[in-house]
Amino acid sequence: MSSPETSGMTSLDRIVTVARKELTDTLRDRRTMLVTLLTAIAAGPIFFALILNMAASQAEKARELKLPVIGAGNAPALIAFLKRQQVSIEAAPADYEAKIRSGDLDVVLVIAADFETDVAAGKAVTVRMVYDRSRDRARAAIESAESLLRAYNGQWGTQRLLLRGIAPQVAAPLEVQGIDLATPQQSGALILFLVAYYGLFASLMGSIAVALDATAGERERGSLEPLLATPLSTLQLAIGKWLAIGAFDLLVVLLTLAGFYLMLNFAPLPAIGVPFLFGGAELTRFVAILLPLVLLLPAVLLYVGLRGRTLKEAQSNVSALVFVVSMVPVVQLFLQKKEPAWLLWVPVSGQYTLLTRALRGDGIAGTDWLQSAALPLLLTIVALAAAARLLRREDVFAGR
Amino acid sequence: MIVADGLVKTFGKRGEIRAVDGATFTAADAAITGLLGPNGAGKTTVLRMLATLIPPDAGAASIDGLDIVRERARVRKGIGVLSDARGLYARLTARENVRYYGRLHGLAGTALETRIDALLGELGLAALADRRTQGFSQGEKMKVAIARALVHDPATIMLDEPTSGLDVMSIRGLRDLLRALRAAGKCILISTHVMQEVALLCDRIVILGGGRVQATGTGAELLARTGETSLEDAFVSLLGSAEGLAA
Repeated sequence: MSSPETSGMTSLDRIVTVARKELTDTLRDRRTMLVTLLTAIAAGPIFFALILNMAASQAEKARELKLPVIGAGNAPALIAFLKRQQVSIEAAPADYEAKIRSGDLDVVLVIAADFETDVAAGKAVTVRMVYDRSRDRARAAIESAESLLRAYNGQWGTQRLLLRGIAPQVAAPLEVQGIDLATPQQSGALILFLVAYYGLFASLMGSIAVALDATAGERERGSLEPLLATPLSTLQLAIGKWLAIGAFDLLVVLLTLAGFYLMLNFAPLPAIGVPFLFGGAELTRFVAILLPLVLLLPAVLLYVGLRGRTLKEAQSNVSALVFVVSMVPVVQLFLQKKEPAWLLWVPVSGQYTLLTRALRGDGIAGTDWLQSAALPLLLTIVALAAAARLLRREDVFAGR
Repeated sequence: MIVADGLVKTFGKRGEIRAVDGATFTAADAAITGLLGPNGAGKTTVLRMLATLIPPDAGAASIDGLDIVRERARVRKGIGVLSDARGLYARLTARENVRYYGRLHGLAGTALETRIDALLGELGLAALADRRTQGFSQGEKMKVAIARALVHDPATIMLDEPTSGLDVMSIRGLRDLLRALRAAGKCILISTHVMQEVALLCDRIVILGGGRVQATGTGAELLARTGETSLEDAFVSLLGSAEGLAA
């Protein structure tokens, strides 16, 4: 047997060797590929399309309100007012209550038969709006019907005061004027949230399966022990695996964001106008904002995965991490107060904050990015060192 | 050349389990040394220490003069290890599994490919070289693991129970390979609890029991010392009956 020439090998060569092997191994795992691609890439845009659709039909409803009325003939002046406001008045079916409960009707106006006689007698009159406020879909119709009736009420009262020679300001000393500062990009908070959320989520989901296979999977298969008897150092092994997981994670993030980009810019979306922009600039910003997480999460998963003797054990360890990462944006969404400035330093939280800012079209300073990246980068190094240490522990293969 | 001098390894929170309790022996170059012992005698732990996977709690060992703790990195370049765990990458082909280890040992290019072809050919795996190891039989997997351990042509070869799971033909093939390696001057240490293996293959036998070396010598020397006629009887008599029977 001839002895092959042993060339001088740098640690970079070994790291690259490990990363290449892991990537080859990963890309050949069809089932994991399919699951990862489906959950991270397809689920986002599909869910998102549904939300957009819902928002579109809600906007549609607000614009052309169809109002079924019981007793339309009892208050001709009110009906005339509503018709002037582009409301199409319909006769309500007799079983309107059941239809509202079942969601077939959003809101019905009921005008009593003694409306005119009560008005003539100078009494306050009542009209009834019947609706089910628990239905999100009905909310836009309810609100616009309500505000129309309020407007009619105000107009009517003002006319009466004027007839009596009293300025309307006497009865209404406080005038509330709402000035909505939201640019078109700033509305649609829910959709905004979803896009940022899925961007974050992709950076986590993209690497879980791959990371666990490369760590707990390697322990379970019994291929770790012989590997550790080669000249490969545990730090080289950890970095090589991390590079492979990170590269795949970046791929998933890019594909997910590309899916958003293509859908928002080229898909035949309902004509409501998307409440924010997601163009090339936003895409680039998203990638830049998520980059620290694409480095950090694979490193953390590497460490957590290596703690598991089997894939199953590692999976349950990882679910805690998934919980934290997926809850942070939700907590922030429901946070009523303005976000404190230090939140930008917190991994995941900082990225979520910047993602929503990017979507709103707010400027992001370089220092903001540095703040959000500082801790993730530091923790990446800590996690890699911890993973390498873990690989040096005897029980990582002994006592399987 | 392997020199083990009073190797100790304990497990458990307070070190109450003394898996290896002062193992002293040598394994010469151009020879096959058999580490023989019943289950739980500490064979795997001794091999793991020599393979630099776990450090000894006490004692020392060297391979070709290199200390297994202080000069761990250099020791690893010169050893080929078939460990207790011998998992392969199922989605990689036999060739790719072996190539990965070759690259980690600093081999590359045609030198590496020629070496892989030669090894897989010798082990009778040429036809399977470019198939994924997913569906390989136990014996085929073992052969790939052996090829992987030998890809860098190490001077010292340590094999933990290399014949377990192999059929007769494969075992014969493995014996031929080990004899060829011995002829090439390699220092070969195998652990086994199969008496027949030791009798057929080993130049020297190190009998391990209760974490200690109970006896060393050639087969003939051990028979002469115990006055027994079969190696199995000699083994039992050296270990004391109860432990021997557990083998």
